[in-house]
Amino acid sequence: MASGDGKYFATTKKGEIHEFKEDLRALDRSKKKEAVKKVIAAMTVGKDVSMLFPDVVNCMQTDDLELKKLVYLYLINYAKTQPDLAIMAVNTFVKDSQDPNPLIRALAVRTMGCIRVDKITEYLCDPLQRCLKDDDPYVRKTAAVCVAKLYDINPELVEDRGFLDALKDLLADSNPMVVANAVAALAEIHEVGGSAAFHITSTSLFKLLRALNECTEWGQVFILDSLAGYTARDAKDAESIVERVTPRLQHANCAVVLSAVKVILKQMAAIGDEALNKALMKKMAPPLVTLLSGEPEIQYVALRNISLIVQQYPQILSHEVKVFFCKYNDPIYVKMEKLEIMIALASDRNVDQVLLEFKEYATEVDVDFVRKAVRAIGRCAVSLERAAERCINVLLELIQTKVAYVVQEAVVVIKDIFRRYPNRYESVIATLCECLDTLDEPEARAAMVWVIGEYAERIDNADELLEGFLESFPEEPAAVQLQLVTAAVKLFLKKPQPRAQQMIQLVLTYATQETDNPDLRDRAFIYWRLLSTDPEAARAVVLSEKPVIADTATALEPSLLSTLLANLSTLASVYHKPPEAFVSRTRLAVQRADELAPAAFEDDSGTPSSSSAGGGGAGAGAGPAAPAAGAPGPGAPAAGGAPAPPSGADLLGDLLELDSPAPAPAHAHAPAHSANGSMGLDLLGGLGGLDLGGPPAPVPGPPPQAQPAPPAFADPFAAPAPAPFASSAPPAAAPLPVLLPADKGKGLALSGQLARANGGPVFRLAFSNSSAGALDGFMIQFNRNSFGLAPAAQAVPLGPLPPGGSATVDVPLAQNAALLAPGPATALLQVAVRSNQLGVAYFNAAADLGALLLEGGALEPAAFVPAWKALPDGAEAADSLPATLGAWPQASAKLAAANVFTMAHKAVPGSREEVAYLTARAATLPAPTQLLLELRWAAGAPGVRAAVRSERSDFAPMVFAALRGILGG
Amino acid sequence: MISQFFILSPRGDTIITRDYLGNVPKGSTEVFFRKIKFWDRGGRDAPPVFHVDGVSYLHVKDGGVLLVATTRENVSPSLILELLRRIGGIIKDYCGLLSEEAVRKNGVLLYELLDEVVDYGFPQNSSSEALREFVLNEPTVLHTSKGKAAAFAGVGRGPTGVIKSVLDTSRADSKGRDEIFVDIVEKISCTFSASGYVQTSQIDGAIQVKSYLTGNPPIAIALNDGLVIGRREGGGAAEFGYGRASDIVQLDDCNFHESVSLERFETERTLELVPPDGEFAVMNYRSTHPFKPPFRVTCTVEDDPHSAFKAIILLQVRADFPADKAASGLEVTVPFPRAVQRVSCEPEREPRPANSQAWDWQERVRKLVWKLRKVAGGSEHTLRIRATLEDGLGAAGVRRGVGPVSLQFTIPMHCVSRLQVRYLQIPKRDKSYQPYRWVRYVTLSSSYVVRT
Repeated sequence: MASGDGKYFATTKKGEIHEFKEDLRALDRSKKKEAVKKVIAAMTVGKDVSMLFPDVVNCMQTDDLELKKLVYLYLINYAKTQPDLAIMAVNTFVKDSQDPNPLIRALAVRTMGCIRVDKITEYLCDPLQRCLKDDDPYVRKTAAVCVAKLYDINPELVEDRGFLDALKDLLADSNPMVVANAVAALAEIHEVGGSAAFHITSTSLFKLLRALNECTEWGQVFILDSLAGYTARDAKDAESIVERVTPRLQHANCAVVLSAVKVILKQMAAIGDEALNKALMKKMAPPLVTLLSGEPEIQYVALRNISLIVQQYPQILSHEVKVFFCKYNDPIYVKMEKLEIMIALASDRNVDQVLLEFKEYATEVDVDFVRKAVRAIGRCAVSLERAAERCINVLLELIQTKVAYVVQEAVVVIKDIFRRYPNRYESVIATLCECLDTLDEPEARAAMVWVIGEYAERIDNADELLEGFLESFPEEPAAVQLQLVTAAVKLFLKKPQPRAQQMIQLVLTYATQETDNPDLRDRAFIYWRLLSTDPEAARAVVLSEKPVIADTATALEPSLLSTLLANLSTLASVYHKPPEAFVSRTRLAVQRADELAPAAFEDDSGTPSSSSAGGGGAGAGAGPAAPAAGAPGPGAPAAGGAPAPPSGADLLGDLLELDSPAPAPAHAHAPAHSANGSMGLDLLGGLGGLDLGGPPAPVPGPPPQAQPAPPAFADPFAAPAPAPFASSAPPAAAPLPVLLPADKGKGLALSGQLARANGGPVFRLAFSNSSAGALDGFMIQFNRNSFGLAPAAQAVPLGPLPPGGSATVDVPLAQNAALLAPGPATALLQVAVRSNQLGVAYFNAAADLGALLLEGGALEPAAFVPAWKALPDGAEAADSLPATLGAWPQASAKLAAANVFTMAHKAVPGSREEVAYLTARAATLPAPTQLLLELRWAAGAPGVRAAVRSERSDFAPMVFAALRGILGG
Repeated sequence: MISQFFILSPRGDTIITRDYLGNVPKGSTEVFFRKIKFWDRGGRDAPPVFHVDGVSYLHVKDGGVLLVATTRENVSPSLILELLRRIGGIIKDYCGLLSEEAVRKNGVLLYELLDEVVDYGFPQNSSSEALREFVLNEPTVLHTSKGKAAAFAGVGRGPTGVIKSVLDTSRADSKGRDEIFVDIVEKISCTFSASGYVQTSQIDGAIQVKSYLTGNPPIAIALNDGLVIGRREGGGAAEFGYGRASDIVQLDDCNFHESVSLERFETERTLELVPPDGEFAVMNYRSTHPFKPPFRVTCTVEDDPHSAFKAIILLQVRADFPADKAASGLEVTVPFPRAVQRVSCEPEREPRPANSQAWDWQERVRKLVWKLRKVAGGSEHTLRIRATLEDGLGAAGVRRGVGPVSLQFTIPMHCVSRLQVRYLQIPKRDKSYQPYRWVRYVTLSSSYVVRT
């Protein structure tokens, strides 16, 4: 980087650099100083002045403190790129660290620590040891921070030299800034090293509490944050902590206040004394409110924290709702947060005031803010029963404004109010119907259609209104279409007139024949069948009482909320995400890979080929290193419930929750594809519902003339049973993950995962029959997935399974580009398994990338570095694995057995760390993907940091999952 | 802790940059600037804290520049934002003011300061006073042509419009004079209902001190005797036994600078401190106790007898504070509904002197801004607005859409909470020691809204 830019720079501005050089060599001190200042100015604006390094270092030996500082500033910036030259400066550093002037001593230690060059650390230890015991507090506080710097470069050195104990001694220092830095350094080391560097015991607790009074404001924050991690031994212990911390609530620094609140909230749980806790809450309220008098940035952080606090302890601020009223000059990010807290604090007592505010906000300019204000009114109505009527009235007033987005938002929330209080406010329907023409947003249209269907019997012209919507049925978004189908059915059941009948035939015909949306098709088929078999049942199901809704828009999950409360006054509390979600401790692995790679490959270029041969053999054998349970992809378990077979009333209950389309089966409509032609039934069409070979059922007439069971429902598997194969169960090394529990599968339990056998992927599936009779005729099909995986044959090579019997089979898999799911890759595999006796069962499995790694996926050692560099930095993803790597040869063999081949391995100089570069080729479509991996770990210690580069960054999570499987926990 | 600190110009140029941990990739300044520039498609202010690719960016805007810190850890955001604010304050103290030019001109000095303020990402010394002994560079103090007046009118910054570096008094060849400014700055928020009642009101106040006293003598600031801290829970103020109700000043909550000794506060309402150099808030306070709002506004919409395509809006402002005081820079903003195409205005009486008021119709956002340069206490001003409507529905069509009216103003030497500095004591070292003391009051509008 340096040389590249430098060349460019030198050709265009040769004169300037030359001039700098001249001036730096000048004898005149002030001229020299000016020159260094100019160099630093150039450095700031991004010019590369690294070529001046020797000249600048030459100016270092001077008594002029100002000049020295300037040189040090330059050094910190460029020492990394010029490590050999930086050594030149060491002597001066060491000498300066013994200078009679404390400023110079501190400057030397501070700067040495900032130069992150391994070679310098050895020279740093002695001066550091001296400075930690220096007479001058300024030197001591600088040395304390320097320990943290050194720990980051070389942790063992810090432990060996006893610097940690020296730091702990500084906690009792007489100077507040020394104490603050000692706490900060210990906390940092604690976090980086995960070691017990800063474990608070009852004795150190006392020290910290005493230091709290002596410390600078920043130090107080560090102490309070460390105290938040301490669990009190008993109520008395907790009380004494709270007693010492409470005065901090009066601090002018908002960080101190918030951290103090965090400590008090944590200790309140241990105190358990109701009266005392109540008093504490009363004490916390005014300082929390005062935070809102700060700058908007501070307010924003405070509001995000307060929103967490009021979810857990609404009583703290229950009387303070007024202070959360928006000011017209608040930035929008503050207004949005205030609104959220106002909703949380709204109660029967203050709701009139709050509603008045919301109404005002609904007339403001910012569209998003206005929408949120209207929603807020609806949410108040849903959560405060006694205020509902007033809320409705405000909403009706807002509808009168005729502002399109206000009206639409109001319609959406009024639908929610109807759901919450059925049969109470129907008088407003007429007003809603008047603004039908304004509605152009899907959510509002869907809400309106729901209202028309739900109250069809009270709206005289409900059929006309619905017809108006139906004209544009094919063009409507899915959410509206779904509502229209339901509303048409409701209308028909409530007013079975010819017009309604005609309408429903039209809708159901379209929804079953023309649409690509499986949700819509499923729903239409279900209604169709219900109506045609038992209209009374249809009535009972469709017009049943709906469960009452509650306002859950703000509520965080209790476990997340408690995590966030424990992380109050941290970034986690601002993002409302657990720290793991955004904190990554990776140093810039990219940079280091580039530095290390060339050397590494020369060292052990022989390894890959030999291990690759071994890998193939192992895979063909009994599969000793069979990839263990690949962690299922992120979405897999969550989506599990969605594509459940359409059976029973519970599903219909779900269908009544028509607010949002179900997420998972949206792409379930796979084209018919099969290896054996006569079996060409699209099983996965069935996944979507009840697809059929023949034409759709005749249009159902009015219920009395219901058709006999239409052919539509013929069993899609009504085909010759496959020849039973002998069960060729491979030995199962580890228990397979459960995919389908017996209670979901009507007695058939399935567990399984992807594996690799005979140089190809297989689906290793364990069947277990707990039903009453024998099962046979097993067939299997996959939905489209990110790897185009499908069974090579639909019939499962498994004979009849007696009751209580179980068997494990490897279903050979093939890859087919036609079955490739669009979009970024996910590990989700949707599978259907069918038996003659139990019909079709659907479940999700995880596609383990480990099963797709090709034998012989190694690269020429020489090709690795160019390949690594050819991929942009953005193509890299990193993660940490819980594995503990033992000796490298064994680990390497294990990886090779799983078709991950070592390209290079070496120890990182100056630390216990080792690094290895590996490669693997994954059989993906349309073309195989070469994966380039970097692993870093400390020998024997748990935790491996992995980074992967490939053309397809969306595979990264699956790569890490596969590595976890190979390396174990 | 903090990985990087940088200062960006309004156009996104890096003026100052310092990397502490080396764990954030290069180009973070561009990533940051692009993100805030195009937040919500460029329509809104980005929140002060957000994260991109595992790097958290925290920023504050001050003096037209962006002060930014990056981190990869789960740190305390209030600590970092507070530190950024503090760095802004230090720059003001040393360079006289914070602006792009001031930062550019004092680059090396600021690096020197930053080295002392932050080490390895940890905040160190953040008091302008204590930093002085570590700083060797001379500041380049900018003297803008606008000078004091401009700074004085700057809403939110307080009235301390003195552009002066703390270093001026510390040097042996001190050209600055010994002086201390004590300013009581109150920002008031007030919301009136359509019927003219005060719905909510709040005072956010601070006692700001800017000290240029050589030798840092201790000072004492005495406040009203009848100062009550904490909201009363029912019952009148008299129960506190502080004498007549008119003497009572009630504050909900307050906090103090760390240099303040509160020994005499409980009994005598006196703050004792050794003021460090530079500007800082001795005391911040907050009050929701009712106060007399300095302005009353009425806004009526009437039909024009001659045309249904016109409406007449009468906007009336009454200054409700003592006649010996005057508000400066009063701005009354009235939003109009979509039906209003254009407006024409005439003041009720001929303005005296001429040019003392002006109005500006912002057609794109349909806002009328009425500006009055100076408004004396007790005076009343009326603006007659004729609005041209597109729908011909007369006043009824627009009445609902006019407003809410918002006001911006500065009232020097006025203090709505009635908090007072009874005396400011500086012990005399010798007879000739006569430092200048400035005790000033100012009331600023924060959110002053009249609903219609």
